[in-house]
Amino acid sequence: MPGFLSPLIEPGFFSNLPVQTALVVGGVVAVVSGIVGTFTVMRGQSFAGHSLADIGTAGGSAAFVLGISPLFGFVAMNLMAAGVMEWIGIRRPRGRDLATGIVLGAALGLAALFLYLDTTASSTTGATVNVLFGSIFTLPASMVPFIAIFSVVAAGIVLVMYRPLILTSVSADLAIAQGIRVRLVGIGYLVALALAVSLSAVTIGAILSTALLIGPAATALRITNRTGRAAVIAAGIGIIATWLGVLLAYDSYYWFPNGGGWPVSFFVVTLIFLVYLLSQLRFRGHSAARRRSTAAQAG
Amino acid sequence: MARLVAAGLGLIAVVSACGATSGQPGTATIAVVAAENEYGNVAAQIGGKDVSVTSVESNPNTDPHTYEVSPSIAQKVGAALLVIQNGVGYDNYMTRILSASPSQSRKVIDVQHLLGLPDSTPNPHLWYDPTTMPKVANALAADYAALKPADASYFTANATRFIASLNPWLQALASFRARYFGTPVATTEPVADYMLQAAGADNLTPFKFQADIMNGVDPAPQDVSLETGLFTQHKVKVLVYNQQVTDTLTQTFISAAQSAKIPVIGVYETMPTPGYNYQSWMLAEVTALQQAVADGISTQHL
Repeated sequence: MPGFLSPLIEPGFFSNLPVQTALVVGGVVAVVSGIVGTFTVMRGQSFAGHSLADIGTAGGSAAFVLGISPLFGFVAMNLMAAGVMEWIGIRRPRGRDLATGIVLGAALGLAALFLYLDTTASSTTGATVNVLFGSIFTLPASMVPFIAIFSVVAAGIVLVMYRPLILTSVSADLAIAQGIRVRLVGIGYLVALALAVSLSAVTIGAILSTALLIGPAATALRITNRTGRAAVIAAGIGIIATWLGVLLAYDSYYWFPNGGGWPVSFFVVTLIFLVYLLSQLRFRGHSAARRRSTAAQAG
Repeated sequence: MARLVAAGLGLIAVVSACGATSGQPGTATIAVVAAENEYGNVAAQIGGKDVSVTSVESNPNTDPHTYEVSPSIAQKVGAALLVIQNGVGYDNYMTRILSASPSQSRKVIDVQHLLGLPDSTPNPHLWYDPTTMPKVANALAADYAALKPADASYFTANATRFIASLNPWLQALASFRARYFGTPVATTEPVADYMLQAAGADNLTPFKFQADIMNGVDPAPQDVSLETGLFTQHKVKVLVYNQQVTDTLTQTFISAAQSAKIPVIGVYETMPTPGYNYQSWMLAEVTALQQAVADGISTQHL
């Protein structure tokens, strides 16, 4: 560690096992969220992304009832929800919000039931906070391989479908004209989205995972028009926000005489928000120019 | 599971006994509602033939801190002549029900207020403190006597007998204290901290960590490492964990203790049933502590 960093990094940071797990998992998840999030923003499916994250609370809380890791609950629930949303009609722009909203409502009802069962029928006091706001410092190291597998699958889907995904995101008509199976691409993307929000749900929590999905990607798309570059920038912003969030949460332990540290999720989400605000100030003219050029293209 | 069913049947039995009698002072039995079954057990021992006790929390598989109240409990509290609760925010639902159905004739024993403890008391598990129940027993006897003056001497005699029956537990605590004073221990929650203190054990787990687990908040990574180190570096002789609240995190500490060959003891937020009364439960906990320190024996379930 370079000497000039020592006032910023409290002792024991890098040798601390929960911190090591948090840095590895947080970094991987930030990359996946950045890549998938870029397409979420381009496709205008932020609401679906946020809803999938909220829907995941039903799966996460069910996992506590069953006594398994919440990650599996998030993944199972989000994949199911993505399937139902696709079936109801998410591919039609007009049916999109409706399909998302209906599945969201039903899932939150389930979450209410499972969280009730968590606290009354089984002995899991922290389930609600854990599901909603994440628990990156208490992730067992044994979950790292599963997180890696889901991350590779999510990023892999996006990379394999990279060209068709860009084309369908920009113009479905154009994609159909080129012989791309738009529906298949849409389904593949939803699977990647479901996995990405599940992964960020275990790190910064189900209701906050949108921040990691949308925030860095939206910032990146303000900085550049090019999809690939935006995905890289989004992943970078996500990693920096997550790692800095972990560091600040660790350091905050020493901020108050009898403090116990502030939650990681708070720091990560706040940092992402600040970066977005900065990009808003810096790239305002740029994005206005881009809006004009996209309008011209569309016209 | 068998234990759960048995506990359920026990509750039904109490409820039906309760339904058979009216709660009028001076006549039949006194209807008592206890927020936790350890207080219910003592209330039944002091009241004897004159009371019928319903305990709200007796399920050993749930966490009383997060208990959600049902309408049937509210109804029983409304009909009760004596209500006993722990206080210190541990059973706030009872305070809410009591204020929702005000009654002039009902006696309420709030153990926190009985002991003169402030609301800011960090550890609410008052029943593990050896000085608590004698005061509770006397308060119960006094309130019962006011509700049924004819049997006043019966209640006083029961309280005296109950307080005397705590002696084996107190002696076990004293002998542990004499032999093993300063024994380093680790905990997951402050459940049995009052008893560990009375036994002269040295709890090396920071209180902030215990409070975080108790409140369902993620502990700081520094505290997690410190707690893990207590086992991997063999700094403690025993891990005392809350048997009623376990999750993946507390499970990792139990595993760490086990792989370091450190014995593990389960403690309870409500009295394990059936087979125990308050006195024998407390004695069993000290016996488990003694066996753990002396012979390295784990007692995860009583």
